[in-house]
Amino acid sequence: MTPRPNAPLLPTAWATIGPFFPQTFFRDGDNDLTRLTPDAPPTAQGAPMWLTGRVLQEGGGPCVNAVLEAWQADAAGRFRHPRDPDWRLADPGFHFWGRAWTDAEGRFAFRTVIPGGYRDAAGPRAPHINLAIIGSGIMGRLATTVFLPGFAEAHAVDPVLAALPAALRPLLVAAEDGAGPDGAPRFALDLLLRGDPARETPFFED
Amino acid sequence: MMIPDRFDPVDPATQPVVPIPGYPNTVTRNPSRPPFRRVLTRTELTGPLDLSGKLRPGDDNLAVLAPGRMAQGQLIHVGGRVLDEDGRPVAGAIVELWQANAGGRYFHPIDTRDAPLDPDFIGNGRTRSDSAGRFAFFTIKPGAYPVPNSGRWWRPPHIHISVLGPGSLMRLVTQMYFPGDPLNAIDRILNSVPDAAARARCIAGFVSPEAVEGDWQGFTHDLVLRGRHATPPL
Ligand SMILES: [Fe+3]
Repeated sequence: MTPRPNAPLLPTAWATIGPFFPQTFFRDGDNDLTRLTPDAPPTAQGAPMWLTGRVLQEGGGPCVNAVLEAWQADAAGRFRHPRDPDWRLADPGFHFWGRAWTDAEGRFAFRTVIPGGYRDAAGPRAPHINLAIIGSGIMGRLATTVFLPGFAEAHAVDPVLAALPAALRPLLVAAEDGAGPDGAPRFALDLLLRGDPARETPFFED
Repeated sequence: MMIPDRFDPVDPATQPVVPIPGYPNTVTRNPSRPPFRRVLTRTELTGPLDLSGKLRPGDDNLAVLAPGRMAQGQLIHVGGRVLDEDGRPVAGAIVELWQANAGGRYFHPIDTRDAPLDPDFIGNGRTRSDSAGRFAFFTIKPGAYPVPNSGRWWRPPHIHISVLGPGSLMRLVTQMYFPGDPLNAIDRILNSVPDAAARARCIAGFVSPEAVEGDWQGFTHDLVLRGRHATPPL
């Protein structure tokens, strides 16, 4: 029997059904919040940083072909959006939003600036980055928030962290992880979509 | 541009129930804990108003890969509006779309099923809703495909759609089905949505040929980003 040109491989658990997010939706630079377009200069405001990690599924295996979308304030804690009272002062060179893609090991990376905290009607927000995760088997999306190390006092009063049982709060605080290729500090957090309840990433309704 | 100022809670009857039999990723990738309720602060209530610097629109014809290179299959036109929970048009939303070819196969390294690839069909596009919230794509009707290791489950023809509205809470990832397909009634993904009216909102409308200009079969599909009449996320 002659081999067929596109004979099926034995499907693995993740390969059996889409959605097969097109890799053409993701281009170099989409994960860089410091630039308005892939070839624009980086913003002059704030301290650059990297947010990296892995997206893991039950059993600890990598969640490949997942899309992550980041949304955060600029270095001064402002958004370029009319619902921010100071939106006219927001950093004109910052993009606030970025999209990353997980590789074969489930790894993702965003380049951004350390977000500023801000005072909200609901309470003082610690520096944070909101993430949405989209991928096969995740109907719609999963929403969570990543905090940065070194802001313990702000974490203690953040109204979103307060929505979690105290034991789960550390699961949303990234760890120092050296420096990225450009020397900017790197913070790492793995996102476990399902698993040991003591380690499973907390997600939020929206 | 309309800036969202109100976000009704999502009705659970419009949300898919997981896991779905034969769909292993719904078992391994959905949290075991229900999501935590949080107060909505500025980060949640704001969102990207203009993504065209990063997600460039202008790719709304999937049927023509290049001049003289047309995809195989039934040519279709899908048009509709992006709406908020009050039925108001959402302008400037990024609408992304991807689908299988006419033989039911994706142009994607993960799709290794033994179905024909079409050298003239990639199957993904991106556009932006206009000031009246309207969007449109020219493409071909995707084929149905069997889900491996699922016990004879076939996905009906469907188009995957992703919408980025002007707010973090107006982010929709869903699928559009075609009216009248016998596989719709037995699709496990569509049937994971408990509410029948919500399921019906995932099925496109057929447009009378008299109302379509040019030689395309016409379908209409509105995308409601939030609220009581929201399009279910799939
Ligand atoms: Fe599909």
